[in-house]
Amino acid sequence: MYVKSVTIFFIFLLNILFSKAQLSGSIESNSALFVNDGKIVLASNEATQKLRNNTYLRLDYKLKKFSVGIQAESYSPKALLNYSPDFKNAGLGTFYLQYNNDSLRINATIGHFYEQFGNGLVLRTWEDRQLGIANSIMGVQVKINTYKPLQLTALHGKQRNGFSLTNGTITGINAELNISEITKSSKWQYSIGGSLVNRNEHLIGLNKKNILLTSTRISIKKGLFYTDFEYAFKQAEPLIENGIPNNNFSFDGDVYLLNLGFSKQRLGVNLNVRRTENFTVYSQQNVYGNAFNAGILSYVPALTKQFDYSLTNIYVYMAQSRLTFNPIATKAGEIGGQIDLFYKIKPKTFLGGKYGTQISINASKWNGLSGRYNTTQRKYKANFLQAGTLNYHEWSVEIRKKWSKSYVNSFTITNQFYDAVQIEETFGHVNATTFVFDQTIDLPKQKSIRFDIQHQWANAIHKNWIAASTEINFSSKWTVFATDLYNYGNDNTARKIHYYVAGFAFKPNAFRLQLSYGRQRGGLQCIGGICRFVSENAGFSMQLNYSF
Amino acid sequence: MLKKLIITAVCVSFINIAFAQQIPSIQLTDLIGKKLNTQVFNDSTQQQPIVLAFWATWCLPCINELSTIQDDYESLQQKNAFQFFAIATDDSRTIKKVAPLVNGKGWSFSILLDVNQDFKRALNIANIPTILVLKKGKIVYKHNGFAKGDEQKLYEILATNN
Repeated sequence: MYVKSVTIFFIFLLNILFSKAQLSGSIESNSALFVNDGKIVLASNEATQKLRNNTYLRLDYKLKKFSVGIQAESYSPKALLNYSPDFKNAGLGTFYLQYNNDSLRINATIGHFYEQFGNGLVLRTWEDRQLGIANSIMGVQVKINTYKPLQLTALHGKQRNGFSLTNGTITGINAELNISEITKSSKWQYSIGGSLVNRNEHLIGLNKKNILLTSTRISIKKGLFYTDFEYAFKQAEPLIENGIPNNNFSFDGDVYLLNLGFSKQRLGVNLNVRRTENFTVYSQQNVYGNAFNAGILSYVPALTKQFDYSLTNIYVYMAQSRLTFNPIATKAGEIGGQIDLFYKIKPKTFLGGKYGTQISINASKWNGLSGRYNTTQRKYKANFLQAGTLNYHEWSVEIRKKWSKSYVNSFTITNQFYDAVQIEETFGHVNATTFVFDQTIDLPKQKSIRFDIQHQWANAIHKNWIAASTEINFSSKWTVFATDLYNYGNDNTARKIHYYVAGFAFKPNAFRLQLSYGRQRGGLQCIGGICRFVSENAGFSMQLNYSF
Repeated sequence: MLKKLIITAVCVSFINIAFAQQIPSIQLTDLIGKKLNTQVFNDSTQQQPIVLAFWATWCLPCINELSTIQDDYESLQQKNAFQFFAIATDDSRTIKKVAPLVNGKGWSFSILLDVNQDFKRALNIANIPTILVLKKGKIVYKHNGFAKGDEQKLYEILATNN
């Protein structure tokens, strides 16, 4: 009787507790099964495990003002190709407990959290599963916006690396003040911001334990015009070479980032200009320059066009913000800019046709910093506004036109110069011109077919490529696709390889399953201006995700 | 006996958990810097359906999806009024391109910026484009990816939820 009463009370209590509770989550699983197809052979250390899988299970539970969540991750039997060796076996990747009060506008988190101050130059933590970036901070974060024009954030903790944490302890505060909200100005929009970030690390052989990063920002908008400026500074930190700090040489670093823009109906222009000098910050110094972006705290992305097609993504620029006295390419940073123009020719005109014609133009140019460099003595002095060796330049024009209710096409031409010596610290440079013709045809009953052909003329490295891809959409649930890239111009006959992939996707509502078989071209895989190297491979691939 | 009762208690309690996702509370900004808390999407008195389209300036299927919807936008609004928010998940690399691209393409959607993808992450969205349709604060439709023809399913959902 007593047990029954207690249990009934227990049921009653749980029902009250859970009556407003919410459980949501997602599962994502990416697998590969490598096959030796005669042409593409994995390196012997990778070929020992042909089956790879990365799985992420995330659960969030919300009860009134509180939320708790976990992310369990599994990299078993082994993580996908070229992921950091720190991602191994299975475990709890992240967890958090959060309190959120919307009326007081206060939010506090204990556990893992993601944050970005300003443009992310002094601090950005985020997750990108395709790039293998999962650098949340584990600690405490408080956000206060009680006085509406002022947003304050304070945080303290250590950055995640695989299933452990990096050595450095990060403490940061950030403030954003919207001045026009105070002055009630509707014509002008002003806001200012500032951040302080300290990294404290006790590393054997390192004299300087604390490095302070600062950022100041201003943003102004008036009518059709807007401008933003950010200046970030890093205190001098000892030079790290091959993971070993050298206290005899310390260098500070900074970034100037200016953005100017104008936009009105059917016309938009944006210009980014940036000068970066020795500005790559890690939460653990001896991982400086690692290939997996582990422990990266500063976000200094490449400010170039993020291309959509396979051949335009062969020569992808990576921002050169790192100081290195490598004799192949001594460098301390970069200077350059990019401009974008978007224009829509008015519908119902001669050039616009019935639906209008969309034009996108982008151009960018990035050079090293000119100056005096002494590789043997580890000394340098960079000039402030003088461009050095050309790293990369590019221009592209894209015209997209809808001709009728059921036919859309687009035409893209891109020209790129890419210096592998400066960018990858390897050899060679290349000038590549790429054409892409893409068309989509609507078929009856919600079906469609998309088809593109691409060609790249390149004077060096891989030389010429040709590619085509097609995608047939049978309904909103089923799609089949096939693609082939052929490096027919390669000087090395053995490298004249067809990189073909064929597969299907099944995607009802919040579920997606994609299965494919084929060959993956090796090279840099870049998302959001951050890249990781992926070796070429062949075999089956499966992606599954579901959220609820 | 005790074990059975505890299992029953936990099961009964679990039934009470709402598995239908509510919109989490995240602060976003629009193109002129005005803040918007995503709690407003939970308004159960809101009669019109609300569409949340997650996209980015560098995502070609996203641009194709939004351009396709834009072409039909006026006639759709005349048939069944709805609210449409295109949520840009661009990070600081491309965030400054959002306003010129939106204006340059002549899109008339309300644009919100999700700079470090806090809102996308809180909704457990794995990839973009993803479209959510809300009706009275509840998610009634979720679809990821875009191929031409998918927009017809969205139009059907908007018509049936009006």
